[in-house]
Amino acid sequence: MALLPRNVSFSRQVLPIIAVAGLLAAVAYIAFGLPDRELAEPAEKPAHASGALADAPRVAGSGVVEPSSEIVDVGSALSGLISDVRVQPGDRVGQGQVLFTVDDRAVRAQLRQAEAGIGEARAAIAEAQAAQRTAEQQLALYRSVEDAAAVSRAEVIQAEGAASAARTRLELAQARLAQAQAQAGTARTELGRLTVRAPIAGEILAVNIRKGEYVSTMGGQQQPFIQMGQTQPLHVRVDIDEDEAARVDLGAPAWVSPRGAAERQVEAAFVRAEPQVVPKRSLTNSAQERVDVRVLQVIYRLPETDGLFRVGQQIDAFIPARVSEPKRAEAASE
Amino acid sequence: MSPQNAQTDHTAAISTRGVTRDFPAGQDVITVLHGIDLDIRAGELTFLVGESGSGKTTLISIMCGILWPTEGEVQVFGTDIYDLTDTALVEFRLANIGFIFQQYNLIPSIDAAANAAVPLIARGMAVEEARAQATEMLDALNIADQADKLPSQLSGGQQQRVAIARALVHEPRLVVCDEPTAALDAKSGRRVMDLLREVAVAEDRACIIVTHDNRIFDMADRILVLEDGRITHDGKDMPEEH
Amino acid sequence: MIWIAIRMLTGDRTKFYGLLFGIAFSTLLITQQLTIFVNLIERGASGVYNVAEAEVWVMDPVSRTTDIAYAMPTTALDRVRGVPGVEWAVPHLRANAAVRTDTGDLEQVAIIGVDDATLIGLPKGMVEGSRAVLSRPDSVIIDDVGTTRMFPDQPTPVGEVLELNDQRAVIRGMADSIPSFTSTVVLYTRYSQALRYVPGTRNRLSFVLAGAADGVAAAELARRIEAQTGLRARTRDEFAGDGVDFIIENTGIPFNFGITVVLGFIVGVAIVGLTFSLFIRDNIRQFGALKAIGVTNGKIVRMVAAQAGMVGAVGYALGLLGTVAFIWVFGSDPTFKGFYIPWQIPLMSLVAVALILAITGFFALRNVLRTEPAAVFR
Repeated sequence: MALLPRNVSFSRQVLPIIAVAGLLAAVAYIAFGLPDRELAEPAEKPAHASGALADAPRVAGSGVVEPSSEIVDVGSALSGLISDVRVQPGDRVGQGQVLFTVDDRAVRAQLRQAEAGIGEARAAIAEAQAAQRTAEQQLALYRSVEDAAAVSRAEVIQAEGAASAARTRLELAQARLAQAQAQAGTARTELGRLTVRAPIAGEILAVNIRKGEYVSTMGGQQQPFIQMGQTQPLHVRVDIDEDEAARVDLGAPAWVSPRGAAERQVEAAFVRAEPQVVPKRSLTNSAQERVDVRVLQVIYRLPETDGLFRVGQQIDAFIPARVSEPKRAEAASE
Repeated sequence: MSPQNAQTDHTAAISTRGVTRDFPAGQDVITVLHGIDLDIRAGELTFLVGESGSGKTTLISIMCGILWPTEGEVQVFGTDIYDLTDTALVEFRLANIGFIFQQYNLIPSIDAAANAAVPLIARGMAVEEARAQATEMLDALNIADQADKLPSQLSGGQQQRVAIARALVHEPRLVVCDEPTAALDAKSGRRVMDLLREVAVAEDRACIIVTHDNRIFDMADRILVLEDGRITHDGKDMPEEH
Repeated sequence: MIWIAIRMLTGDRTKFYGLLFGIAFSTLLITQQLTIFVNLIERGASGVYNVAEAEVWVMDPVSRTTDIAYAMPTTALDRVRGVPGVEWAVPHLRANAAVRTDTGDLEQVAIIGVDDATLIGLPKGMVEGSRAVLSRPDSVIIDDVGTTRMFPDQPTPVGEVLELNDQRAVIRGMADSIPSFTSTVVLYTRYSQALRYVPGTRNRLSFVLAGAADGVAAAELARRIEAQTGLRARTRDEFAGDGVDFIIENTGIPFNFGITVVLGFIVGVAIVGLTFSLFIRDNIRQFGALKAIGVTNGKIVRMVAAQAGMVGAVGYALGLLGTVAFIWVFGSDPTFKGFYIPWQIPLMSLVAVALILAITGFFALRNVLRTEPAAVFR
């Protein structure tokens, strides 16, 4: 209002200015106050199909890494204290290599006892043979005397009895020798059984026993003493929902990535599909098992990697789907 | 624009022919004006005198184009104003007629200069320019120093001068003035009439004053007396009976 | 003439401020109530909007909202991953649990289990701590509004130990999230951890969150997932809409706020209408004089329109400013956390103001236009 330069009107000048400023402030507040509902890219990429599978029909599954031999839980035939553990986790062992030994003192004592028995039996045999020889010589002597008065009939009978007894004693002593030898053999076998050896060549995965612990062959709940398996190569056992099972292109390689490292995907060759569809085993630390879902287990061979996969690790896998004929036509038309 | 009626007086600023006006009053109809034939000349101070209810307000309203007559025609400077469209009539008033209302009817929230400038602003003139022109008019009326004041800050006489300035600022050819002295004492009334004579009367301008103030009758050039809707007197002086 | 009209308007201060107050009050009431209404019902979608990464939510066909979800078997995740166009998919668990606090109080909480490897499912921002704390055992992240409910007197909840389903849970961070409609305390943890915290049922995978591959629209992806897996798939916006619809259908909120908004409108019409008619009546002689002098009806209409416009513009601006100030002042209160003014609402109140002025202006103008210019001689 240049007409009233000194007379500033509140209603006509200040108020509209406040109004305009207020409007601008409100617009700014509203514009900047709008909630952030932008979609964000995940900071870390979860498992995803890549390459040729990215936009092709596929089946996803999750699974676990296992040795190609599957896991061997090594047990012990005999109970006892562990006297020595010869391997540690990660060791590679050949077939027959000693894994651990169980205390053998008792068996060794039995062996010594048996060996003593053998010695005793051998001595008895010698003694019996000597007695037999003496008796037979005496009998022969009596029989060679023509003069019936010189040797009484009774003496002859006595000599015959002595010879017979000596013969029997020899047989007895021989039997005792055989027994002692058998006892010694048993003890030696026991001794061998107290030394546990690797059933196959492979890697020691877990050692759950320590020197001095008591291993028992009784009861099944306890964890295996030593777990091992052939880890060259590793296999993965992929669970596929039974609904999806029919779509899997069996024989095709799968793309596998470990949990938490989705970007490191490797190609795994098909090995086999398990003939049996089994209940899904939950690996979520939950006590209960899910019984409502059954899964087809398909096994793939992992390539050589530098420690990316470890036995027992969970993996995500993408497998090409079998393209049925109508689907193929559909895909072509798209 | 040429007048159809042979009786029209070409020298007249305003001429009315057979102007009749009825007002409905319930079931009845009251006729306020009975065929008024009248010629108003320019350059004269014409008084329209009449008692309340004589119809003078109706007549003046009809003469300045704000009330339609029931019958008859009105020519203002040769234009038959009730032949015009509504909008053209409004614009005709804006261009040719200046009003001085009895209550002044000034706009309370704008200053004296702006009030005086209203007809110019209504014509679309810029506010600054209109105010400057209005201030000149206020100067002629000797109240230029009050130009920046609101009506409420002015005395009654000053407000009237602003109203006069508003009536004259756009140099209309017809000035209509309603009871200019009604609220004033005799001395002030005469001063206003002097002022009006000085500023409003011009060669080519008609000036009609509606009044029943007998103190100022001697200042008229012509007095028309209206009684019961009829002109009963037309002359320089008032008849004796008044 | 507009110049004169504005001065006529502002000349009468009482009525001018009365008009401004009427408009400003109506604007404030309508805008503020609509804002609170929208924000309140959008609380039904906060669970969806808190997860910034998920483009598509996959759930059991009977699931309705983030809070009303029927769990699926874990293999649902793999089935979703097998759909072409799915760039990634992660599990998401939402469940309720009762928690024992340090002081022994029982509190109902929502447990949200996010993908172990990628932590997709956590809110974008953290108030305290980092997302990485979830990698530590027994870690949970609490939401900021929940903190004020559960630990009202403490400066920080970090380090608090809770007991969930006989398991230990240590609060190691505070997330910046929009609270849900019921403002339930939310504890975020890893999926595997969440399974331990939630009492066991057979299936516990509430949702699968999926991202679309480049060039695949979310809606198209949702359609493909539904077709291939038979599960229900909703895009982020659809699912947010489901949450909002659920609140609308199941609460009296729309009705109550609707009443307030209508009241605001009526109060506006009443105050503005009465004041405006009074103002016009006071000035009727001036308008009559103007008409006599030679101002056309068109110009009179413009004058009144200018007056209404000025009152409307200034009053609306002040009312809007009031609303913004209200939201701004109360925005720090946890109850109003995340409240914002959707841009549509000021436009709606602008329409309402225009309507109020049009109605009252129309009646006021009718008086003016009816005025005989001849009246000025009476």
